[in-house]
Order: sequence, then structure tokens, then C-alpha cells
Amino acid sequence: MSIIKATGICKTYQRGREEVCALRGVDLTLEPGEFVSIVGPSGAGKTALMNILGCLDTPSCGTLTIDGVQVTGKGEAELVKIRREHIGFVFQQFFLIPTLTVGENIGLPLLFSGTPYDPAKIEILLEKVGLAHRADHLPGQLSGGEMQRVAIARALVNSPRILLADEPTGNLDSVTADGIYRLFEELHRQGITVIVVTHNRELAQRAGRVIAIRDGCVVAGS
Amino acid sequence: MNLFSLAVKNLQRRKGRTLLTIAGVAIAVAILFSLLSFSAGYERELTKEMDSLGFHLLAVPKGCPYEATTLILHGGVIPKYLTNEDLVRARATDGVVIAAPLLLQQFVKDGIPHIVYGIEPDVMLPLKPAWKVEGRFFTADETHVMVIGSTLAEKENLMPGSVIPFGPLQEPFTIIGVLKPSGSEDDNFHFLPLAEAQRVFKKEGFITAIAVRADDVKHIHDISVELEKVPDIQVVTMAQVTGTIMNIVGSARSLLFSVIVIAIVISAAGITNTLLMSVNERTREIGMMKAIGASGYHIGVLLITETLLITTLGGIIGILAALAGSGLIETFVRGMVPYAPSGSFVSFDPILIAGCLVFSIGLGLLCGIYPAWKSARLSPMEAIRGEWE
Ligand SMILES: Nc1ncnc2c1ncn2[C@@H]1O[C@H](COP(=O)(O)OP(=O)(O)OP(=O)(O)O)[C@@H](O)[C@H]1O
Ligand SMILES: [Mg+2]
Repeated sequence: MSIIKATGICKTYQRGREEVCALRGVDLTLEPGEFVSIVGPSGAGKTALMNILGCLDTPSCGTLTIDGVQVTGKGEAELVKIRREHIGFVFQQFFLIPTLTVGENIGLPLLFSGTPYDPAKIEILLEKVGLAHRADHLPGQLSGGEMQRVAIARALVNSPRILLADEPTGNLDSVTADGIYRLFEELHRQGITVIVVTHNRELAQRAGRVIAIRDGCVVAGS
Repeated sequence: MNLFSLAVKNLQRRKGRTLLTIAGVAIAVAILFSLLSFSAGYERELTKEMDSLGFHLLAVPKGCPYEATTLILHGGVIPKYLTNEDLVRARATDGVVIAAPLLLQQFVKDGIPHIVYGIEPDVMLPLKPAWKVEGRFFTADETHVMVIGSTLAEKENLMPGSVIPFGPLQEPFTIIGVLKPSGSEDDNFHFLPLAEAQRVFKKEGFITAIAVRADDVKHIHDISVELEKVPDIQVVTMAQVTGTIMNIVGSARSLLFSVIVIAIVISAAGITNTLLMSVNERTREIGMMKAIGASGYHIGVLLITETLLITTLGGIIGILAALAGSGLIETFVRGMVPYAPSGSFVSFDPILIAGCLVFSIGLGLLCGIYPAWKSARLSPMEAIRGEWE
């Protein structure tokens, strides 16, 4: 069974009086454990698609199922639950809370899912992202690449089956970006479905499949 | 970690701003607390002081009720007099237990006004059970003797046994007693036997006022009606005096309360503005939290907690500051009201403290609810794009 199945997804945004069509009928099927890149020019609708796949936004038309569960038409309360249980998010601007330690930042989703904070589990995640024994550091003491690794660990804390990353290496140099991609590859090997938006063609090729988007339509890789 | 500690950590991100907001709340609560405790304490102390006067009403010459009020409170001179006949009438009135004649005179020495009370010790002392004298009190028929208040004794460096020139003729008078500090105006007065005061100031047969104690407070009204039948006499009851003072204080109080309302409104607007600002800055972070599993409820509770932390802390600090600075505040208030009882009127009232805390919490809820609601219902996609409005 596919882990993500999107059919005929459209999204129109209201910008003042003008209607902007960000997505025009996107069909997409992802199998569990796939590693997929999404590429396309700026304004093509990559972020719009990621937001819909990640249940941060609802499509104007079309249907979406995640892990066999019909998502379209569900209210915000149910979407929150799906995000919590199935999806990990990584952003271009890490979004770490500066007054929380690395460990507390990683544990933040546990606060919302009502799971007790377990230092041992956090340490395992830190090891996984290559930051062992750094739980007590503050984000300000880390490099950009290290902060993104913390953000990835945070996305993994609720053991989601899907990891969505929107330009995760956009703020990083190529060597650091390479490290982050190696991490994605490792997660992919462990069976997590990884979807990464990137502008970097070389990095995009490292995924098992490259989906190209232009003007709100999938033009390759669907 | 929980939402509470997350709120604390969020407040630590802008320490200066957080502290300023807390200070704003603290000032408003301190003013509120001081004013409320003043209102309650002032009336209580005033009533207590009126009770300690020992008499229920004062018969004064007709036409001088306001002078009479001042006279009771500060000492002073009324240019009109009652006579011994009036005293006899007063003593014969039903329900009168004690009728004590008073002759008040004033003289100025070295630019400072002095108040002299001519009194009859036999009737005056039962009215003033609180009086304790160092040395002894005079009897009704002694001459060239006086008892003075403790403040006066200290200022003039006098003690039992001192002899001072006194009166228009500068006759030698012996201080035979000094009153122990009573905390009332009595501490500033000279007390002479009535007959002696009448002789020295050439007011034989005259008295300024008659202090009357009723056998029961219920009879005060009947007694005053009866006494006012005497053509010369006007009656001022202590209840009227208290009422007059409370009226004057009441208008001063309304003014102070408008000040506090303005202070609170400004403080509330400040808190709300600070919150909106801090939420605005964190819009994208709120979006991130929603993306990683926070519901609107979590975000709302987080922001309300931040607000409550600010206002509750501000409230506690404000109350502590008001208690610590109550001396200062009292001095300030004393300068503003027409009559200040001698007892302290800022007191440690647990109900008032609880009330002010509840107020602080209420203020937090009031100010926090809009920013919290607004960010709780923000769509995660819009929040991540940083779209707040
Ligand atoms: N909330 C919104 N309101 C209005 N218009 C929007 C909104 N979100 C996206 N758009 C518009 O939809 C189109 C697609 O935007 P999207 O952010 O998906 O592009 P993108 O492919 O992610 O581009 P980039 O590579 O620059 O991030 C753009 O024209 C954008 O202006
Ligand atoms: Mg984008």
C-alpha cells in the first residue's frame, strides 16, 4: 500500500483580489521507504505541495490519503493528530528555540503529543544525527549544519514514517549539505519515507526518484 | 519539560522587555493595593480615634459647627462661649453620664501656637482612661499648676517639677505632670484646672464646649435634641464629625481611584501590546510548533501562561513593594487628606492581598486572551510564511 497517494490536487491562494493557482492537478504516489527529491523553479508550487502533503494546508480540490487514511475533508484537530503521528518536518530556517537546550528542542514534539521526556531516547536520536553528548548545549553554540541535524532529530522524535524537508540545505554550504544528505540516505535505509525539496540538481540526483514541478504541474517523475 | 517551563524560557528570551512589563504591572498593583488598604484602614482608624475621644457629642456655642469640628480634632479657639448655666442644663439632661466643661485658649510663643485646655479633672479623667501621667494630675482647686502633653514636653524640654512663666501676666506655673505619649493631639496641649484657666485668661464663668458621654449610644440622638433646646447650644456628634471627614476623604478618594483606573488601563494596554509584539515576532515559530504537532490549544495555553506569569509576578512584586513602602505611601496620603488618624492605616490584610492577586491574574487573562486566541487559530501554513495579520 502506498504511504502517500495524492490525486488531482489543486491549490488556489487569494492574494488580494487576485487568485493564484499554486497547484493545478498534481497526481503523486509514494511507496513506503522511498527517498524522493522535488525540484522546480522558484514559484513552481513546491512548498505549496509540501504543505499539503504534510497536512499544514488543505487542498482546494483533489484527494490525499496518508498511510491509507483519507485526509481531505478532515478538520484541524484531526490534521494535528496526523502531523504528530505520521509526519516529521524540517525547514530551511531550522526554527530551534534559542533558550531551550538541544535536548529540550528535540523533545519539544513530545510536549505536544503528551509523551514523557526520555533522556535516553533523546541521546539515541542525537547519536543517529551525529551529535552524541550535545544534549545540554544551546542552539547558539552550534554551527548551521549542526542546528539542522538537531531539527532533523526533533522531526524524528515521535518516530514518524514520513520526513518532509523543504529546502533543508538552503542555508548551508555544500560540504555541510552533503552531510545532511548522508543523514537522509541513512534514514531512507532505515525505512523512513524521505521527501526533500531542493534547488541543487546534484543533491536531487542522490534520491531514488526526482519529481520536477513547473507552474503547479508535475512535469517529470510522477 | 512542560508548557509552563516553555513559557518561562520564552519570557527569558527578551529579559528587558519582560522585566519592564512586570514592572508596569507591579506599579499598577502597588497603587491599587495601597489605595484599597488606605480606604479600609482610614475609616477604621478614624472610628477608633473617635471612640478614644471618650465622648459622644460636643455642645458648642451656636453658629460654629465647623470650628467645633476643627477644635475637636486639632484644638483651636472659638470666639463664642457657653456659660455655667449651660453646663448645669447639660448635666441635668436625661441619659448624660458625664458632661465635662472645656475652656480652650490659644497663645503664640516664639511663633508657635500653643493650645491650653481648662478641664475639670474629676469628670475629664473618666473620659480619658487611656491617659497615663508621669508625675501627678492636678485637683480642681489647685492654682499655678499644669499637666502637659509628651510632645510638648519634649519640644520645650520640660519635665515634672519645671517652672515656666505662663499666661498674659507670665505667672510662674509648675509642671506637675507630663502625659505619656497617647499618639493623639493631646500630646501637644497644656492642661490646667478649669477655674485656674478661667482666671488666667480672664474668662471667669465661661466655657468653650461641653464634652458629653451618653449612657448608651442609642440615646445620643435624644440627648442632642434635648440639648439643642438650649438657645446658646449647638450639638456636634462624633458620628457627624466622622461623616464630614469621610465625605471630604471620599472625594479625594474618587480622584485617586480615577488615577488608578488610568494606571491600570495603561498597564493593560502595555501588556497586550507586548504580547502581540512577542507573538508577532514568533509567528513562524508558532507555525513550526504547529507543524511538529502543537494544537491551537497548546499555543493558546502557552501564551496565556506567559501572560499570567508576567501579571502574577508583577502582582506579587507590587503587593510586596506596597507593603515595604507603606510608610512612604502613608506619609504621602497623610499630606493629602483633611484629617489623618494617628494609627497606621496601611495594614497587612490577607483578604486584600488575595484580592489584589486575583486582580493580577484577571488582568493577565484579560490581556492574554486576544493574542492567545489569535495565534491559536492561525493556520500553520500562514504562520510558517510569517503571515500574522
Ligand atoms: N499563502 C499564500 N498566499 C498567496 N499566494 C501564495 C501563498 N503560498 C504560495 N503562494 C503563491 O503560490 C505560488 C507557489 O508558491 P510556492 O511557495 O509553492 O513556490 P516554491 O516552488 O516553493 O518556490 P521557492 O522555490 O521560491 O520556495 C507562488 O506564486 C506563490 O506566490
Ligand atoms: Mg518554497
